[in-house]
Parts: sequence; structure tokens; C-alpha cells
Amino acid sequence: MECVVQGIIETLHVEALEILLVGLCGAPKQRVRVHELCLKSGPNLVSSEVRLLCDLAKTTPSWTIRHVGGAMRGAGADQLSVLVRPIAESKASSTALRFFYGIGYKLDHEVLKTGFAFQFQNRGANLTVSVTSTNRMPRLHATDDAVPITPGIHLVEITAPAAPENYTEVASAIASFCEYLSPLLHLSKPGISTGIVPTAAAAAASLMSSGGGIKIL
Amino acid sequence: MTVKWLMHFQPNQGTTLTSQVMAEACAVAESFPGVSRDGRWRSAMTFYRAVPRDQSLPAPSDLPRDLIGISLHDLPNEYLFVMRSQRLILRAHSSVQTVMDKLQSYKGRFFINFEGLQYKWGDFKLRIGKCLYNPNEALRGIVMEVEYLPLSSMDKSQRVMEEFYEIWREAVASKLLAGQFINTEVNFVEYGLGDSYTPQHTAVLYGMCVVQVIASSNKNQ
Repeated sequence: MECVVQGIIETLHVEALEILLVGLCGAPKQRVRVHELCLKSGPNLVSSEVRLLCDLAKTTPSWTIRHVGGAMRGAGADQLSVLVRPIAESKASSTALRFFYGIGYKLDHEVLKTGFAFQFQNRGANLTVSVTSTNRMPRLHATDDAVPITPGIHLVEITAPAAPENYTEVASAIASFCEYLSPLLHLSKPGISTGIVPTAAAAAASLMSSGGGIKIL
Repeated sequence: MTVKWLMHFQPNQGTTLTSQVMAEACAVAESFPGVSRDGRWRSAMTFYRAVPRDQSLPAPSDLPRDLIGISLHDLPNEYLFVMRSQRLILRAHSSVQTVMDKLQSYKGRFFINFEGLQYKWGDFKLRIGKCLYNPNEALRGIVMEVEYLPLSSMDKSQRVMEEFYEIWREAVASKLLAGQFINTEVNFVEYGLGDSYTPQHTAVLYGMCVVQVIASSNKNQ
């Protein structure tokens, strides 16, 4: 299970966001370069979707198989400002793609996500804040030639693992952290767009001129 | 990971495999000078079948019918899939079983456990076990996994493993067991595997061995 929120920020403000995050998180920045392949079962199989993530940031690429379940529903979930959904993941060998092709899955689409991320704790929850550009590939698997799908816009995502007994606390930890980012961007449940924040330019300018003199959590 | 060979017991024509063979094979191992019992072992295999979108129809022929998953006794946090027809192996964290459950496109249709006794004999580890259908525990075969601890190279260990195999065959023959142990031969190169032994090699050995065990069991019933 995980809790997640998303938002967008103009690329020209990403550097300011990074300064803010360095100050807030107190954790080292991690490079993100993930080739994400979305596979769907063929017409003969029970309908299902699986994602393969190939982490290209490290010297040796590593693969993860990921299944994302439907969002939690109901009055309790509606009241949360974050989305809660079941997640199943597994590290796997580099034969993962061939394996899923072999059992009847087809490539639906692929993207390359590039940017950076911070992993840290807030109120006991393990948060990951990622700031990425989503890129498409002009040819199959051509990650070196990837180009941004939305030039000038970066996606900001905050995720945290959760369990049935603690997801409300995790959601609260994410929501409280989002407040620190509110001058630059608004984060909400995926699928609910809040657009660009009108104060972003001024906030970014302030951050760039102050050089990140922010109190660390 | 150090080199392993995997053998299965081939009963003589017209004889039925019984648990007594397991006891006799263990007695052979225990007769080796300096051997010591080293606990128990258990590996588990699942045979998966595709779940067709229209479940009133049989599974389409273009989907694999030989997908197996294996949990090995010495790698409790990992799970391996083997598709012999495509010479394909996937090695993953054991949580991949949860992912497959969520996908629901393939389900475990029947299950086999390999379980028995483990022995240490000099540089060798011997694991003799029953091959049991789960859950009714019907005996389908007897297997023996032989591990040579000093080496990870299959080429370099070939000779010593062959020598052990001959010692074992002679010892079994001298006890007049109603059959013999047959080594599982695999062309690992076809699976993209090299000389350095890995869990993927073990998974392929079990995948091939179980086919022979089931064929032998069906023939002698």
C-alpha cells in the first residue's frame, strides 16, 4: 500500500524547488533515470496491467516489477488529501521484459523519467519526493534519444509506503510536508489537477536569491 | 553459488516407487565414511496455467503451458520462474508471487514439494528427498541434489562430480535398489547461462528433472 500526491511545476523553477528540498529534507539528492514500461495482457488473457521499471541511474541497471492497484474508495478515503492505493513490487532479473512477453503481455507504452529525488522521514513516515521530466522515445526503447512529453513542465510526486493500520498517519505526514512546498506548487491526488501556483515565480526568485537558507525539518 | 547436480530415481521397468526407496537411498548416504546428517531441506514448485479472458474456453495455444515457479530451499527470499519452451528464466524477489496473484492472469494449478534429508560428506552436500504432490502428498519421485562446495565453475567441477556420480551409482547398485539414479542433463547455454553456477541453473535443473520424474511416474503406474 502507498500514499501518493502529485503536482506540476514549471521547469524554470525546478532549481528553486531543489534548493527548498535540500533544506527541508536534510538528505542527499538522488539522481533519477527510470525507464518505465507499461505492459498489458494480450486479448486472450484476463485483463491486467503491469509496469516494469529499469533504473538506469546506477552503473548496472536494475529491474523492478510493479503492480498498482485501484485507489482506496469510501468516505474515509474521500476525506484524505492523498490517494491511497495497493502496491505490489518485486526486484527482478533483466529477463523481466522477455518473461512478460513470453507469458502473453504486450508493450502498451514506455517513458523515461529523468530528474532527482529525496528520501527522508517526516513524522515517522518514509517519504520520497521526486521531481522528474517524463520523456517519450522516438523509437522502441531508445532511451538515449528521449524527448520531454511536456517541455517546460516537471512532475513532482510524493510517495510513502503505508499499511492498513497506519495509512491515515502517513497521509497526514505527506499533507503536512506539502504545506512547506505550497509557495512553489500545490500537490493533490493524481488525476486532480491544480495547475501552476500563481506565487511560484516569486517564491522561486526568493529561494534563488536566498540560496536555500531554510530551516531543516 | 557452488555447483549442483540433480538426479532422480528411475525405477526398474514394472516396479512401483515407494517410500522405501527414500529410506534405502538415505541408508546408502549414511554408509559413506565420515558422513553426517545436516538437517532437512524443502523446495516447492508451482505449475502455472494461463487464465483466459473468456473462461468458458480453454486457454489459447499461443500461451505457455509450461510455466513453473520455484522456491529453493537455500534462497527463501527469492522466487524463480522457468519456461522451458522459451528457454527463459526469471529470477525475482519472493514478493513476485504477490504481483502474480494481483495480475490474476496466471494461477497455480498444481504443486509439488521436494523435501527430505540433508547430509554433509567432505566437500559435498547431499540432499535426498521425496517429490510429493501437494496437498495429497502422493509420492511421485525421489531426487538427490549433490552440491560440491569448493567450486562455482561447472567446467572445473565436471570431473569431480562425475567421480561422485559413479561412486553413488555403484553404492546404490550394491544395495540392490530396484532402479538407478539418473543425472539431469541440461544445455545451459540454450538458457543463456554461463559456466559460473547460479540459482538460475538450479531452477532449470529442477524444471527439467520434474518432467522426467512425472513421466517416469506415469509410466510405472
